[in-house]
Amino acid sequence: MKIKMSTPKILRTLYFLSWIIFTGLCIEAGGFIINAFFALVHPSAISRLWKEVDLSGLFQSGHGYFFVVTLIMSIVAVMKVWLFFLIIKNLQNKKLNITKPFNMEIRHLIFLLSYISLIIGLFCLSGGKYIEWLVLKGIRVPDIQYLGLGGYDVWLFMAVILFVVGQVFKRGIEIQTENELTI
Amino acid sequence: MAIVVNLDVMMAKRKMSLNELSEKVELTLSNLSILKTGKAKAVRFSTLEAICRALECQPGDILEYVNEPEK
Repeated sequence: MKIKMSTPKILRTLYFLSWIIFTGLCIEAGGFIINAFFALVHPSAISRLWKEVDLSGLFQSGHGYFFVVTLIMSIVAVMKVWLFFLIIKNLQNKKLNITKPFNMEIRHLIFLLSYISLIIGLFCLSGGKYIEWLVLKGIRVPDIQYLGLGGYDVWLFMAVILFVVGQVFKRGIEIQTENELTI
Repeated sequence: MAIVVNLDVMMAKRKMSLNELSEKVELTLSNLSILKTGKAKAVRFSTLEAICRALECQPGDILEYVNEPEK
């Protein structure tokens, strides 16, 4: 059986999925930030914090290491939240007009998403390298996947792809304007 | 742009209003206005043909090339 989905239906599905991902990311970002504050007030509970990620080894080795890792984790989580917030905002405001898809707002969104992906990628990369350095020092740190810092290469790849799409969009806007002004 | 549209001059010569021309060439007033004000990026041959027929003129009477220094 062939399943046909129209573009508005796909967009509605994406909007629904984006909301689910956004909610999850908000919870994750909140969890990381609250972790950091909780560590100051109640250091003994560090081993039983967000997602049961045990950062007690890191905390005992040095508070500075713990807060740097938590800061990078929080920045990455907040950037991911921002990314999905922008997607939801644009899908909600129905900025994507299928009859005239090439407009400045969407182009701006694509470039913004590209820059956010690049920043996430760079933070994931630097976070990963920092954790690698900590492991080499003999400090017990959980895997970067559990800290939400994995897949920097995917984020960087996405940033490049979005940037190229943005450039194509730029040309698309020119062609659409030319087409509209052809009498 | 180096191409100047002299549609208003020809319309004045033929004493034809924009509404009248719009009806004859079957173009919307907004499109004719875009053409008249020189905002148009391109003109289809079919549109040019219809305008020439309605105004009883040649394409050269409507379009003119003006040498402009390159930016």
